[in-house]
Amino acid sequence: MDLFYVLVGTVVFAVGGPVLGCLLAGIDRKVTARMQGRVGPSLLQPYYDVRKLLEKDRVAVNSSEEVYVATALVFTLLAGGIFFSGGNLLLCVFVVTLSALFFIVAAWCTRSPYAEVGASRETLQVMAYEPMVLFMAIGYALGIASMTGFLSFDVRAAFYMPAPVILSNVLVFAGLLFVLTIKLRKSPFDLSYSHHAHQELVKGVTTEMSGRTLAMVEIIHWCENVLFLGWVGLFFIWNSAASILLALAVVAAVYFLEIWIDNNFARVKWQAMLKGAWVVALVAGVVNIGAFVVL
Amino acid sequence: MVLIGFLILAPLVFAALLLAVRNNKARKVIVCAGAALVAAGSLVLVCLGTGTRGIMFTFYSPVVDYVCMALSVLIAVCILVFGFRYRNVASIVLALVQVIGSLVFEIAFAHSIVITECLYVDSLSLVMTFIIGVVGTGICVYALGYMDDFQAHEPEGAPDRRPLFFALMFAFLSAMYLIVFSNNMLWFFTGWEITTLCSFLLIGYTRTDEAIRNAFRQIIMNLIGGIAFLVALYAMAITFGTLSLNELIVVGQAYPALVSLPVCALAIAGITKAAQMPFHTWLLGAMVAPTPTSALLHSSTMVKAGVFLLVKLAPLFAVCPVPSIMTVLVGGFTFVLCSFMAISQSNAKRVLAYSTIANLGLIVACAGVGTPQAVWAAVFLILFHAIAKSLLFLCVGTAEHHIGSRDIEDMDLLFQRMPRLARFMMFGIMVMFIAPFGMLMAKWATLVSFIYAGQVALIVLLAFGSAATFMFWAKWLGKLSGIAGSPQNVERTVHRSEWFALWLMVALGVAACVAMPAISTFYVEPYLLGVYGAFGQDIAETNLWLASLCSIAVIVVLFAGVGRKGTAKQAPVYLAGVSADNGQRVFRNSLSGQTEAASRNLYLDELFGEGRIRRVGEAVCALLICVAFVGCLAGMPILF
Repeated sequence: MDLFYVLVGTVVFAVGGPVLGCLLAGIDRKVTARMQGRVGPSLLQPYYDVRKLLEKDRVAVNSSEEVYVATALVFTLLAGGIFFSGGNLLLCVFVVTLSALFFIVAAWCTRSPYAEVGASRETLQVMAYEPMVLFMAIGYALGIASMTGFLSFDVRAAFYMPAPVILSNVLVFAGLLFVLTIKLRKSPFDLSYSHHAHQELVKGVTTEMSGRTLAMVEIIHWCENVLFLGWVGLFFIWNSAASILLALAVVAAVYFLEIWIDNNFARVKWQAMLKGAWVVALVAGVVNIGAFVVL
Repeated sequence: MVLIGFLILAPLVFAALLLAVRNNKARKVIVCAGAALVAAGSLVLVCLGTGTRGIMFTFYSPVVDYVCMALSVLIAVCILVFGFRYRNVASIVLALVQVIGSLVFEIAFAHSIVITECLYVDSLSLVMTFIIGVVGTGICVYALGYMDDFQAHEPEGAPDRRPLFFALMFAFLSAMYLIVFSNNMLWFFTGWEITTLCSFLLIGYTRTDEAIRNAFRQIIMNLIGGIAFLVALYAMAITFGTLSLNELIVVGQAYPALVSLPVCALAIAGITKAAQMPFHTWLLGAMVAPTPTSALLHSSTMVKAGVFLLVKLAPLFAVCPVPSIMTVLVGGFTFVLCSFMAISQSNAKRVLAYSTIANLGLIVACAGVGTPQAVWAAVFLILFHAIAKSLLFLCVGTAEHHIGSRDIEDMDLLFQRMPRLARFMMFGIMVMFIAPFGMLMAKWATLVSFIYAGQVALIVLLAFGSAATFMFWAKWLGKLSGIAGSPQNVERTVHRSEWFALWLMVALGVAACVAMPAISTFYVEPYLLGVYGAFGQDIAETNLWLASLCSIAVIVVLFAGVGRKGTAKQAPVYLAGVSADNGQRVFRNSLSGQTEAASRNLYLDELFGEGRIRRVGEAVCALLICVAFVGCLAGMPILF
């Protein structure tokens, strides 16, 4: 039965994720433009861009790249399906990592020096955020356990809680916000693949991707954004309809914050990103999870 | 029981045969027949024992006792001979201590202690039987082709020691069977020492200076472990008057204070054999041996004997705090530090070695936690690690003989130069580190078990270690996947026996990943029910099946999806200039000359280099072990 829910969730997310993510990207560009004193493109510009990519001729370095990217897309959709059908948060995290791996291998298989640099950096990014993402899932489960006495990684459990898990997870949430900048590919942590042309080495991971393949990468990015913001919102959900509104408001505020950060900080070196993310994760993990165990 | 006897004795018979036969063709027949028989015997036992919670066999034989004693003396003599020949004082002293210790023990205690049930089978030994009998014999078959190439690469006139090599491989299997079926700790100890000696001889196989040096490092460290084992035997005999492993576990659960010392000593023995810090250097040194040896040591024998003992003791760790804390922290630190050091390595065998030590660290930590959930995770870690690691070692061995290097940087374009082998290697790597494959599912269970046990330190170590794991595997995977130009396919000359073993490991890997929920139900849960009376699976069945479906999808992509000829127009890669030769990444530069674009993987040596990390890890782990052992020793007099 659970498998059925995941299947339905994946199908729904396969439609809803890209639509929401596309709108989100449109809003992002609008807000960014306003911050820079420009008018900005229309809200649907990201959609037009991707549609144009889909109509391009198929030119590629090799045929495997597209297969890897398509696999990454499928697993991103599955991760979204697991999350939004109320499934296991850890499994969702692992499937996202699997998708990240396929994306990395897609870049590597082209054997282009620039794509390889991007892929190396993307690997570093995964290494930087992975501990904190795991702590996020663990903090969530322990938050549930502190209220019910049962450890559960299930996303749906939040909807039965008397209070949101943020109350016992302030540090973990702060840590999540830190690595969210990496996951959303926002400057200063957009080392592998940036939307800011002035700080990019050719085009990072996507150097050799074009047409349909690049369109899929864009769709993966949209879906991931929706999913990661879902993780943020999850911390504010409890047994109340109003909580969904609160969660949406928090998500909106967090996304605005990320856009603001994106526009105000220049890209850092990988050492700074890795050390920063690991120190944050270490502090948040040890203190917050330690507090759960001690208390 | 006949089957158990067969499994212990048959490999010995084949070992003796192989030692005698010098003809290469005859050897091939014997190895294949031996491997087939042992594997078949193992499979029959595994099938017959499905779902068993443990059966003890009433079997006692003074003859076996005497044989064991004779063997320990023989082992000591053997070590002494080598020690004198190569003037290695430390090994002579340790071997003398051990042989005197064990002879005194035999005379003073052993004959007054009668154990009626010397053999047993439970689901854990069945899992081990499967690993030894199928993975282990697979490696023996692989070695046939490999050793032919190896001998051909040797300088002219080099002595052919292959009879000894294959005899040792089979003797190794026999000793492993003795370890996993013996309830009598004395027999267990004999098996333990045989594995130490066999690996000593296998590591020193080439008799080069480096090989001899590393072999002695191995024997010294493992003799320390052997002496710790002996201390445990003394403690058991003095305190309980028994040498039965089963009784130790049953009595220990009721009176934890009594078993503190033997458990601590056995844990140290297990830690040395499982190559945990500060003893990890012997396993790194072991890779000077021919690759099948490494595969055997890393996957199905030797180190697995160490973790097998620790997992057997897990119920005692759950009640004895001092040895438990020691084991947990040594395992946890080893996991995270060795994962870090693996990032800085470009030698493929060294990366594999660090990854083995790290994963064993995780298994050791699970055993130290000692809850049913942690043991569930540990058993799966053992199973998947055995399969994936032997596959990877065999792949690296074959690649080395065909591309002439074991450096990861030289594996560029392996995807085209050795298409099938590269896919096998990629599959092995994926099984090691990424969901939905087995190792990661087991790590997931590990994580949950640590949360239940409230082990904050372990949770943190696991999270950072896993992140490092992603880094070093992903960049290797990336290196393998590169496609450019049309290099020559060099895998046509790979031996049939090598392909057979590689296919076997891949098939086992696929089967184990897909059938993980079933393995849990029929083998792992029965063991836990037998020992703890409780279930240990903490991942919902649905999620396991979901992972198993995803595994199938990834396997299809890897073996059927990528690497085919596409319909898209082919473009050259971007080189910031006009491409001259895309396969070689050569472009025309601004002076109309030709420049080659080169790129290497990241090794982050300044952060994760061996120099700093190794010293810290050895110091911390050695301190932990010393403190725990002294603590347990100090606790003993109070009991008398």
